[in-house]
Amino acid sequence: MAGGAKMATNELKNQIRRLRFENGEMTQQQLADRVGVTRQTILAIEAGKYAPSLPLAFRIARTFSVKVEDVFQYQEIA
Amino acid sequence: MGNIMNKTQKVAWFNLVGTLLFFAFGIYIGVEMFVLKRLPEGFGRFWGLLAFWLVTGIAIIFIRKKQSRAEPDSDERDELIKKRAVQISFVSVWLLLAATILIAALILGETGSIPVYLLTFINLGVFLTALLIYSTAILVQYGWRGKDGDK
Repeated sequence: MAGGAKMATNELKNQIRRLRFENGEMTQQQLADRVGVTRQTILAIEAGKYAPSLPLAFRIARTFSVKVEDVFQYQEIA
Repeated sequence: MGNIMNKTQKVAWFNLVGTLLFFAFGIYIGVEMFVLKRLPEGFGRFWGLLAFWLVTGIAIIFIRKKQSRAEPDSDERDELIKKRAVQISFVSVWLLLAATILIAALILGETGSIPVYLLTFINLGVFLTALLIYSTAILVQYGWRGKDGDK
């Protein structure tokens, strides 16, 4: 298991849903298959319930041919 | 149903239902033998085995069916969920064991004793309870029907 992964976070925003639709309306299952996780994990990441490990974040970004920062944005919560 | 859950969830459901059935069967046998003081009426070795293999066969087909061909057996989130479920189960079992010992001491007193065969049932009960808590903890973390975050 990759270190640093969390079950839930409100600080990490993501653009996965938008990127999926911009990439030929890719389904969550198709994205999950491409990055080697289950569909439930993609659901949880999209909903902000799970913060992925760095390797998984990179795999998602590379699937969309964008930088990690274009997929995930960290927001400071005061 | 088979396609809305991943393998970890399906195994957890199988363990949960199997454990509950085992508990129910144990309670039935216990009541028949120790309360009603008679040997339980079975439905025959053949039908028992048939029911067992039928349930096991259906469960194996259900568990092996994947959401897609490329779906891994488990990923990093599944491992995290399972790790937490083990921790929850471990703590719960210790609390349960402590409670069992305390209750036994309160009921039987300091010099009381229990039959040796009861230890087997206590051990079996603890193991099954651990499995029950482990499975429940997994399903709770997924959101029961696996629709967490499904929009």
